[in-house]
Amino acid sequence: MTESKIYLRDGRTKALVEASLFDEATSDHLALWDRDWVPAMQAFCAGKSLSEKPEDSHWDWRRKSRAATGLLGYHTLAIVCADDLQGLMMANDISSARLPQQFGKPLIYVDFLATAPWNRPQIQDPPRYRGVGQVFLLAAIELSMSVGFKGRVGLHSLPDAEAFYENKCGFTRLGSDSSHQGLIYFEITDKQADAFRQRN
Amino acid sequence: MNAKKTMTLNLTDQEMRVLEELAQKKELTKTGVMKLALRLLQTLDARIEPGKKLFIEDEIGKEKSELVIL
Repeated sequence: MTESKIYLRDGRTKALVEASLFDEATSDHLALWDRDWVPAMQAFCAGKSLSEKPEDSHWDWRRKSRAATGLLGYHTLAIVCADDLQGLMMANDISSARLPQQFGKPLIYVDFLATAPWNRPQIQDPPRYRGVGQVFLLAAIELSMSVGFKGRVGLHSLPDAEAFYENKCGFTRLGSDSSHQGLIYFEITDKQADAFRQRN
Repeated sequence: MNAKKTMTLNLTDQEMRVLEELAQKKELTKTGVMKLALRLLQTLDARIEPGKKLFIEDEIGKEKSELVIL
């Protein structure tokens, strides 16, 4: 497991704060998810209708992590700041691109990406930290480059995150995918990935 | 960083030709293709259990054809 230094932005002071990106979500990270993340999400969701709950409120990261354990093609990443878990991501490097200009070429596919409940403005305003999503996408691009995929990344977005991927990260929208509950599929080329890296 | 081990791979002309074609098509090195194949096969082997099948679906026509994996 490798730990890299990254920076998040304090949601209140806007100052950059040093944090750690781990290229493997360990049992310690999942224990933090159990201890803090789950109760915070449950507290926010209590009494709310399905449409009012965060779209990922039902994600069971322990189960997801278990399903990927031992598989060479799957990667689970974690971000920790101030001894608290700030985000989790699962990605695989056995998927193919769909954009016509890179169709069939391998890419990093982001299976799941989530920031901790206290980093979401709709749950806590101001959020504790900003930038978890960008750091994870940069990590996905770096992973893509390290395995020879030149920065190519693809993902299906939950509806609330579509604008983030399209406008903030520069992904290309490829439309609704009936094989993924109608979620919109997004993809980034090597050039788009390079532009995103330079902006961040 | 995981320690790496080296192996020699003996391929027939046809196998080498396919490997080179895939490397070109996927924009990978030949080693990259072999590693990708290993990751893919491991995932398929882990996911496909008795009673489960792998299909390829035509997005437009919606026809499905089963992909049989050894």
